[in-house]
Formats: sequence, C-alpha cells, structure tokens
Amino acid sequence: MNENKLVKIEKLVEEKKIGEAQVELSKLGQEYNRNGNYLFLRGKVFYLNKLYYAAIDALLIALEFEQSDKTYNLISEIYGVLGNNELKEKILDSNSRLREINLLKDQLTGIYRK
Amino acid sequence: MIKLLWNTQNQNISNPNNLSYQDSVDYNWGVYHKNNSDKWILNILKKVQFKLIKNEQDLENEDTLIIVDSAIEKKKELYLKLKLICSKLFLIHLGDETGAFDLTKIYNNFSFVWRSFCSNRFFNNKKVSCLPIGYKSGVCLKKQENVRKYKWAFIGTPHKSSRHDILFQFSSIKPSFCHKTNKFNEKIIDTNRMSEILSSTEFVPCPNGFFHPETYRLYEALECECIPIVENAFRYYERLFPNNPFIKVDKWIEVKSMIKEWDREQIKKKGRV
Repeated sequence: MNENKLVKIEKLVEEKKIGEAQVELSKLGQEYNRNGNYLFLRGKVFYLNKLYYAAIDALLIALEFEQSDKTYNLISEIYGVLGNNELKEKILDSNSRLREINLLKDQLTGIYRK
Repeated sequence: MIKLLWNTQNQNISNPNNLSYQDSVDYNWGVYHKNNSDKWILNILKKVQFKLIKNEQDLENEDTLIIVDSAIEKKKELYLKLKLICSKLFLIHLGDETGAFDLTKIYNNFSFVWRSFCSNRFFNNKKVSCLPIGYKSGVCLKKQENVRKYKWAFIGTPHKSSRHDILFQFSSIKPSFCHKTNKFNEKIIDTNRMSEILSSTEFVPCPNGFFHPETYRLYEALECECIPIVENAFRYYERLFPNNPFIKVDKWIEVKSMIKEWDREQIKKKGRV
C-alpha cells in the first residue's frame, strides 16, 4: 500500500478534479479496502457526485478502521444535506458522535463491522 | 426441437457434507430463483414453443436449448457437454449481483446470453444483453378499492443508509405500511399478502439493492401498478430503460411533499404513464 497515492488523490479532490480522483481511486487494489483514508476519499468522491447514500455507507465503514474528525464531520455534513438535522448535530458533537454512529450502525444493517 | 432446462437449483458443490459459505449462498439463491423467478421468465418466453426438460439426459442431438442458470462460474463442464449435444445454446443468467467474475469465456459457449444485473463489463459484447431482474412469482395486482389505502409502503431489510433515510423521511406520512426484516427472504410476508399491500399502496420507494442498483421491489411495484420511486445513482435506470417514467431521486427528502400532498388526480395521471 502506497500512502503517496492517497495524498495525490486527496490533492485532486481538493482541486475539484473529481473525475480524475475517481479514476485514480478505481486503480487501487483490494489492500486499500481496510484503509480509513482510502474509504474517506471514496466517500468524499461519492458525496461530490451527489451519491449521498453510497458516501455515508463508505464513511461508516471508514470509521471502523480509523476514527477521524474529518470522517465524522463529513457524515454530519451529508446528513445536513439529506435534511436530518438532528443526526447532523449529534454527529458533529464530539461528546455524542461515537454513540450516535454506533446506534446508527445498529439500525442500518449491512454495513461492515469489525 | 427447442427445450428449456431450469438449472439454477442444481449447484456444483465440492463437499456436500461441509458447505462453504459461497456454496451455501449459491445454493440458496439457486433455489430462490427456481421458486420465485419462474413466472416472469416463462412469461417473456410465452411466444417460444419449447419443451420443459428436467435434465440433460432429456436432450437429443441437434436440439436447441435454453438454459436458465445461476452461479455459472462453477458449471463450465456442463456447458461444454451441452455444447457438444445441442445445435444452439442460449443462456438466461440469473443472479450475479456482485459481478465478481469475468464470465466472457463461459458466455462464449452460448449463441446468446441474457443476464440480469446489467454490467458495463458486457456492454460491448454483442452476444450479451441485459434483462431486468423481474418480480417475485406470485406478486400480482389484486382487486382494489377506488382509493389506495397506503400512501407508501416498504417491505424488506433496512440495509444501509438509503433505506434508513426512507424510514426517517417518510415515517410521518400516514397511512403507510412498513414490514422490516433482518435478512433477505427471511421472516417475510407471503406473496398473497404482499400483493394485497402493494395493490393498496400509491408510492413504493425502491432503494438500490445491496450490491447493485437494481431491486426486485421496482418490478413488484410495477406489477401492482404502484408508482415506483428509484434512486438516480449512476443514472442506472435511465440507461437501462431510456425515457422511463419512474420518479428518480438523489435524496429521499425530494419526494416527501409529493407523497404527502399529491391528490388522486395527480396520482392517477402518473399511474397512467
């Protein structure tokens, strides 16, 4: 696994070169499937392509491998876009977010759990 | 003579006493298709005169065979054998939601292949065409009252975030029908009851399937003359059925007011499209 490849994709996303970022992500092999940052980038690209539910599913799996603020914040932002403001706020709050995410995962089956 | 062999229920299992996870999945799906996909398949073949056979022993030289099958990646030898007997071989390939295997070599044994779960891997293959995944056998429109009882209905597993959001967004819209199950095809309601419910429902949200955008729910909704609402992810349905009249959403909140507020005339008009 080469972290530099993810840095390169992150830069493409920042520059809004979403198509290119998507192509680069699709080139990465299965060894990235358990990498929190890779899954975050997958989620981010889905989100920018308006694939909101695919984005949340990818980000929820990302949290299984890496608890990062940027992942929580993006999930919160997407729930805001979906119109679920209560969940948006709870996930944004660092005191309640872990409990809320676990509650969410319990309700929506089919998301990979470690 | 044209013959039809339904072979999904017959799986090549390496060790029947110790089924691997994948063998078990393939077997269960094979049986599911045998029991639940027959009606629509036989319906699309109704203009073809064929004899239904039980196994390959019922074949004679130069027969044309239509085989309905699943988990085909494990059945290469059978197809080679059939190819030697038959003058023409057609495959209706059910299942393969994940598209995990490149099946081009296996498909090459056939004169033509129709596969469910459309995959871009075969878009340029002139011998392969897509079929919708169809509805569960037994689901049909029931005699109904003039006004449908339920505004919306959801039957199935609340897998993943899309289905969770459906239940969140629409839970305040009444009357509705919701039957949640933990696993596909487990603790389900029978097709008779399901037909009654869908025939009494105006809108049916059809979230994407587990791996693939396509879902049986869409075709069951259409059979019962409901108005399906599908996800617009990857513009899948626009590509599968160009200019279709389905309502498409990026997020379920977009149709909340439609489900809540559309009157009978608006619903009737959409239902006639």
